[in-house]
Amino acid sequence: MTMDSIISRKEVHDQLEKIKTADILVGIPSYNNARTIGHVVRAVQAGIAKYFPERKAVLVDSDGGSSDGTIEIVQKTTLEDFQSILFHHRIEPVFKMAIPYHGVPGKGSAFRTLFEIADALNVKACAVVDSDLRSITPEWIELLLKPVLEEGFDYVAPLYQRHKYDGTITNSIIYPLTRALYGKRVRQPIGGDFGFSGRLAKFYLTKDVWKTDVARYGIDIWMTTTAVANNFKVAQSFLGAKIHDPKDPGADLSEMLYQVVGAAFDLMETYPDSWKAARGSEPVTTFGFQYTVGLEHVKVNVERMVTIFREGIKGLREIWIDVLGAGDFGQIEELGSLPDLKFRFPLSLWTRVVYDYALAYHTKKLPRGHLLKSLTPLYLGKTASFVMETENMRQDEAEDEIEKLCAEFESIKEHLINGWK
Amino acid sequence: MQNFFSLILEPLKGVYAEFADFFPNLLAMFIIIFLGIVAARIVRAVVLKLLKAVNFDSWSDRMGFTTIMRKGDLWAKPSAAVGSFLFWLLIIVVFMAGFGALKIRAIDDLVSQCVLYLPRVLSAVLIVVVGYIVTGFIGRAILIFMVNRGYHFAKLLVEAVRLLLIVLFVAMALEQLQVAPRIVVSAFSIIFGGIVLALAIAFGVGGIEAAKKVIEKETVEKKDEKNDDIEHI
Repeated sequence: MTMDSIISRKEVHDQLEKIKTADILVGIPSYNNARTIGHVVRAVQAGIAKYFPERKAVLVDSDGGSSDGTIEIVQKTTLEDFQSILFHHRIEPVFKMAIPYHGVPGKGSAFRTLFEIADALNVKACAVVDSDLRSITPEWIELLLKPVLEEGFDYVAPLYQRHKYDGTITNSIIYPLTRALYGKRVRQPIGGDFGFSGRLAKFYLTKDVWKTDVARYGIDIWMTTTAVANNFKVAQSFLGAKIHDPKDPGADLSEMLYQVVGAAFDLMETYPDSWKAARGSEPVTTFGFQYTVGLEHVKVNVERMVTIFREGIKGLREIWIDVLGAGDFGQIEELGSLPDLKFRFPLSLWTRVVYDYALAYHTKKLPRGHLLKSLTPLYLGKTASFVMETENMRQDEAEDEIEKLCAEFESIKEHLINGWK
Repeated sequence: MQNFFSLILEPLKGVYAEFADFFPNLLAMFIIIFLGIVAARIVRAVVLKLLKAVNFDSWSDRMGFTTIMRKGDLWAKPSAAVGSFLFWLLIIVVFMAGFGALKIRAIDDLVSQCVLYLPRVLSAVLIVVVGYIVTGFIGRAILIFMVNRGYHFAKLLVEAVRLLLIVLFVAMALEQLQVAPRIVVSAFSIIFGGIVLALAIAFGVGGIEAAKKVIEKETVEKKDEKNDDIEHI
């Protein structure tokens, strides 16, 4: 137990002393989610009551200092309201803890608190779910925990039905890249809701990453990659639609890219032997009954994205030539001169862009922040191209396009391996 | 007749005596300079080997120093540049020590003035180098930020910022060198103030339309951003 461990705090220690051990831990990282967290807590409690009536369970809200009464809502929300829908009478109680976490503000620090509590209570399985979810049902808890408790999996990633334009960083960078690197087809490596074993939680705690970007947006990709690269048994569960509160209008895209892509590139430095050895990719076991969900329409401002891409060609010319080389920059320039209707980002070019950025990151060609943020206009160009290409496609057809991109990432992986010195 | 010879020989004797007194100093100067050059060469060779052993060139590549040198039109390897810098610094010191050995008052004064001035030169060089790095870093950060926001005049504005910063650092270096400090400070104030005033006039009077467009664009972009429902993660 380190000095900054949550367990060292008296009020937490006392609560843990009372609980002693548990089978299941469900964690909810939160920050000013008073509007939605009540629903999430109810769904989690119902899920535990319905699917794990004989397991001793703990629900932990790891809070980032909410000022809107999030913690009070977690403490007040009870199971009595929906006792009628349960088939079994619960044998074991559900303990509830709402703790303000310490450290760098962010989801990663909230998760660290959950790992520490899981470790202290010696739990068998954990699940974490976002606190702004509107589409969570009790079944999510079953789908995230059962593969761990009954099938021996260590890590369960989510599989959602999402709108074809949602999750574009996942679809155009993180999924193709992690799949090509580590050879596992985990479709939502940064989904946000996960299940994992107590053994894996202990393993996460052995890593000293809590002052890096992992403590913020980078936690999701870090958890998935750490599990895959260290040969933990990985699966995914179909959870249906992921609908959550409207996005934070203040969230900066460049900052998101910086943290998520930076975390993925950092992990390449940590596990070079693992990703260099992997060839091709294989599917992972998928749990849950897959069905089609009606999804809300997503408005996209393609014109703005293409404008920023073109501004990038003019303004970031020297940086892009340095990172991509004159040849690929020439292709980018040609792309910028096309009329909007003909604007299509070739898959091979985009793949080389991502790999060249990974190589530039590895050789520290530019300061980390400058390098990753200079990717934003290229990413917006790729996103605009994807939106236009798939405008008249069905969801499954758009998924085929992502599959093609993944194949491209796998086929030119040698480019990355050869350039990695 | 003898007086006549002594009239010729006495000055020559005097010159010889002075030369005999001065010769060891001259010899000492040549020996100091010779040994100093040899020592400087040895130091350069040792430093080069040491830098090679610790992979200084690769480290400089990673830290961006090589890029900075290339931008400054310096094409030598970073390790060679450090070696040369040390070599020439030692040569300057050696020559000053050598000239000091001559024990000529005027040269001694000159040498001591040079020695006293050397720290100012070094700190001025340091200001220029640090200024160059800081200007590059800040300029690039602003450029990336503005491009990512879709500003049309990003590059132009960044060049203006770079110019302002360069003027600031050069003025600081000149002030450090004590090159007509009053004129430097006044010139800096005039140039800096002039640039800011020119920008204010250009933007406020001549560029009302351009300013309007930029502000309108920013407002429209903020609105557009809100109209965008896309979830990137």
